[in-house]
Amino acid sequence: MSDMLSIGASGLRAYQTALSTTSDNIANAGTAGFSRRTATIEEIAKANRVGLGQTTNLVGNGAYASGIARSEDSFRAADVRRTSSDLARTETGVVWLDRIEGALGGNKLDERLTAFFNAATGVAADPAASAPRAVMLETASSLAAAFTGTGNALAGAASDLAGTGRDAADQLSGLSASLVKVNDGLARADTNSAGRAQLLDERDRLLESMSAITDVSVSTDSIGRATVRAGGTAGPILADVESASTVTFVMNDSGATSIAVHRNGITQPLNASGGAFAGISDAAGRIASARETLNTMAQSFVDGVNAVQANGADLNGKTPADPIFATDPANPTTITMVMNDPKGIAAASVGEGTRGNGNLAALTELRASGGYETTLDDLTTANAAALQSRSSVASAQSAIRDAAVAARDSVTGVDLDEEAVDLIRFQQAYQASSRVIQVARDTLNAIFEIF
Amino acid sequence: MRISTQSTYDRASAGMATLSAAAAKLQTQVATGKKLIAPSDDAAAYRQLTVIRRANADQAANAANVTLASGLLASSDTALESIGNQLVQARELAMQASNGTLTDSQKASIAISLDAIVDDMLALANTTDSRGQPLFGGATGDVAYTRAADGTISFAGTGEPGAIPIGDGTSIHATDSGERIFAVDTPGGASDIFRIVQELAEAIRTGGDVSKDASSEALTTLQSAIEGVADARASVGARAARLDLEAQRLSDTAVDREESRSAIEDVDPYEAYTQLQKTLTILSATQASFSKLTSMSLFDYLR
Repeated sequence: MSDMLSIGASGLRAYQTALSTTSDNIANAGTAGFSRRTATIEEIAKANRVGLGQTTNLVGNGAYASGIARSEDSFRAADVRRTSSDLARTETGVVWLDRIEGALGGNKLDERLTAFFNAATGVAADPAASAPRAVMLETASSLAAAFTGTGNALAGAASDLAGTGRDAADQLSGLSASLVKVNDGLARADTNSAGRAQLLDERDRLLESMSAITDVSVSTDSIGRATVRAGGTAGPILADVESASTVTFVMNDSGATSIAVHRNGITQPLNASGGAFAGISDAAGRIASARETLNTMAQSFVDGVNAVQANGADLNGKTPADPIFATDPANPTTITMVMNDPKGIAAASVGEGTRGNGNLAALTELRASGGYETTLDDLTTANAAALQSRSSVASAQSAIRDAAVAARDSVTGVDLDEEAVDLIRFQQAYQASSRVIQVARDTLNAIFEIF
Repeated sequence: MRISTQSTYDRASAGMATLSAAAAKLQTQVATGKKLIAPSDDAAAYRQLTVIRRANADQAANAANVTLASGLLASSDTALESIGNQLVQARELAMQASNGTLTDSQKASIAISLDAIVDDMLALANTTDSRGQPLFGGATGDVAYTRAADGTISFAGTGEPGAIPIGDGTSIHATDSGERIFAVDTPGGASDIFRIVQELAEAIRTGGDVSKDASSEALTTLQSAIEGVADARASVGARAARLDLEAQRLSDTAVDREESRSAIEDVDPYEAYTQLQKTLTILSATQASFSKLTSMSLFDYLR
């Protein structure tokens, strides 16, 4: 009878563990990165001692919770990391292409250019009057401001991008350091313990965060410690069981980015083909080429307009004293006005007289040969086309990632209805075990009452 | 397959967010009447739009020049017509003067009439245009003609005024230099309409008796002056006709461009509104089914 008491007690203990595990699942139904756990309940093996007149064991010795099993599927988890990496790359690209679009269009540079050339057409109709000349100077001034504004917007985007890259590098270094701590914890955690399950959850969360920054290749040892390489299986090690690497991001003035992994005094380049890093590298190239195009165009525009101005005669019939624009050779989009006297605009060709407008025809030719408006259109359209296609790729990749997450969650996720069923099942088993104890006591009492 | 509670909520919220974003985009389209909000909405269409917008801006500038040039040509036409009439009148007076029976006082009054014609022609030749510039001036000079103290009238400017650009690399001479159109060839060399009338008046006033030969020479010269002014007027008329055609062409192409622009950029309000309504209906159905689904839980039955 004492067997029955201890069997009942073992059942109580086992199902208490099962009930706690289920409650834990319910409590963490909304926790990101939580993997569903189940209590493993096993029979207690009885020592093979045979009593008097007895040849075999007729009864067992109860049950016990042997451990906490964590649901996991490493292939599906890897799939989620890979698809997240792809999506992060495209989404980062979309963010910065959108920024470039805003920078190129925000200052209405194309409209200002057209307005400037059309103001010259107005001056050509009435070269001796001061009003059309004043209008032309005003449009020149707002054009200079639009050039400067557009250049500054792109420069701002470039410096923000560099900042974002540095933040991502710091974040990746931090995640690597955390992963090494988790690896360390896993080495000491008891097999099948709840603590171990928590560490593995944390490991997967860290890996997922890392894969949003760069594409990672992960290998795990027998006790679940992860070794992470960035940018493919041959890439530099970010974290292993011993130590973590430091990641740095540098972007130079021409927009070239270099991402490096520093480990034990050795520096290796990180060639990201996924994650935010890859998106940032793409965007850096685009911003740099947009800036270069704009700089070339600004320099050519200022040089062209000033050359036309220098070849003509102002309203007094003299060679103009000043050019119209000035620009900083180091930063050609920073255009300032030099001419501030409407009479100084050289509308006439030399020797033509105050009502001559021959020199403005040269400006019209410059408009056609320089193709400034077309250059700007090409730049905006190329960027817009890239943004358009990236956006549709992003929505496709987002759907692929959602499917990967759903596939992983079907293994590791918590379904409250399922937990409710378990709760009822384990509760009933618990109640039944306590009834076993009661029956054992009653039986024992019946024997005591004989005496 | 297990559907985790987390993903049930995640999926529903993602679906509703997508629908809300689509509804917001349609709402913006309906409110602005434009399909293209950013270049990336449709890069190719944006490209076409910029070309159309630029053509519209150019057209506005060119149309302003066409209007101005038309006005200038109309002013030239009016002034030239008056000058032509004055010259015809001068020829009639010259014919009267050639009549040998006139008295000295009659001749003196004819000379005075001719002086008045010179004054009128000078005033007409110095007409200012809508820009405040001399209509028949050259490329320089504040006025077209000046009269010296001795009564000599001379052209003040130099060169030809610039042609006004009217688009696509074409330009039109909206005004003419008086030096060219008022010049007259006489047997005695190059002269102008003022000098021939002044010389005629002088001959009548001082000569007392104008010989038949002298007056017939004056008549021939006047006739060629009248023809010269008429030619100038014909040229002005031809240019005005060309500008009318140009103005017509500009407005026709503007209409064509507006049609293209509207096809590219404008929202079909019926379609957009129907789409919006559809999106909103699906959104509210999603919300209703979501709240229905999530209200069911086995925990409700645990007592």
